[in-house]
Amino acid sequence: MPEVEVNGTRIYYQQSGTGPDIVLIHAVTSNQAVWVFTGMVDALSTDFRVTSYDMRGHGFSARPATGYTSADMAEDFRCLHAKLGLQPAFIVGHSFGGVVGIHAAMTAPECVAGIVLSDSFFPGLKEIEPNFGKANVWMDLKETFQTIGVDLGPVVDFTRLFRTAANLTTQQMQTLEEKVGVLGRGWLRQLPKLAETTCGDDVLAEAGLTADKIKAVSQPVVALYDEFSPFHATCAWLEQYLPACKSEIIPAAKHLAVVENTIAFSAAVRRHLHRLTGVEVRNG
Amino acid sequence: MTSRTAEQVYRELGDVMANTFPDRDFSASVGPSTQVFADLGLASIDLVVLGERLELFYGRRLPYGQFLAELRNRNVEDLELGELVAFLVRHAG
Repeated sequence: MPEVEVNGTRIYYQQSGTGPDIVLIHAVTSNQAVWVFTGMVDALSTDFRVTSYDMRGHGFSARPATGYTSADMAEDFRCLHAKLGLQPAFIVGHSFGGVVGIHAAMTAPECVAGIVLSDSFFPGLKEIEPNFGKANVWMDLKETFQTIGVDLGPVVDFTRLFRTAANLTTQQMQTLEEKVGVLGRGWLRQLPKLAETTCGDDVLAEAGLTADKIKAVSQPVVALYDEFSPFHATCAWLEQYLPACKSEIIPAAKHLAVVENTIAFSAAVRRHLHRLTGVEVRNG
Repeated sequence: MTSRTAEQVYRELGDVMANTFPDRDFSASVGPSTQVFADLGLASIDLVVLGERLELFYGRRLPYGQFLAELRNRNVEDLELGELVAFLVRHAG
């Protein structure tokens, strides 16, 4: 059973392939299914040993009441890394998963060989993202909730989202489920569970990952940002200030490139990982 | 070695699902056209975990990730049990 006790909680993971270690870290409210259903695990496991896991509070991992900052999650990663006996790993992190990757590069550099970011927003860099509160994915979500007469508020607020979901009537939840479809239903149904935790506030906390600390990350970083991302200022900042950062724009995506443009995202991730590891392409 | 029949795989799948999701009720009548998301109430992560448990049960790696990715590539909204059973008969039998 692929579960381990780490840092006071239980993490569910899956592993496949052989080669240099790659660790896939999903976004807040997501889970490792995104890497499986998009074929990313299969695409990478021909040339790498791929570990994907559900962050605490998500998927099949345990859901403790606290410990959802990037600092906590980076420690979860470090402990998982040790428990699984991984070599220094390249982390591919979507959104908050990328923040966890950068945080781990700072606090556990011996575990992190490099980081591929997918459209990550860093709370420590919020000053350069004046429109963070009006991020397009949040606006889309607001619009969906407005159809059932619920206001998610003017700015990105995960705690409000989770508590709002927890207080929906059965009818409101059913209406939302019809709107998001069968695949989105699982996503909706876990939101109330996160209301029982500090996740909402924690993931927007700087937690020690300041701009100066990010600048000091010396491992190679690939900043893959979506064409219609609200975080282009962050992408430009990373390329300017990190000593070893390359950026690339994934077309036709607005925060979920792995889902919105899987072909381009997968190709970019594989290209950069092969470049960084020196591993020859074995298949396609 | 005799290959597994679809009927046998249905029973085995039922056992694995009951063990994987002990808090869920799958007692309602199911058949080849039963949909795992819409009818059984599973989520995508549940299918991922189910795949891992099926590999454990059958004692072999299955091209399960490829199977799930192909569903998405075909823009399939849901997965019918019959399709999952056919996959298992083909690869685990």
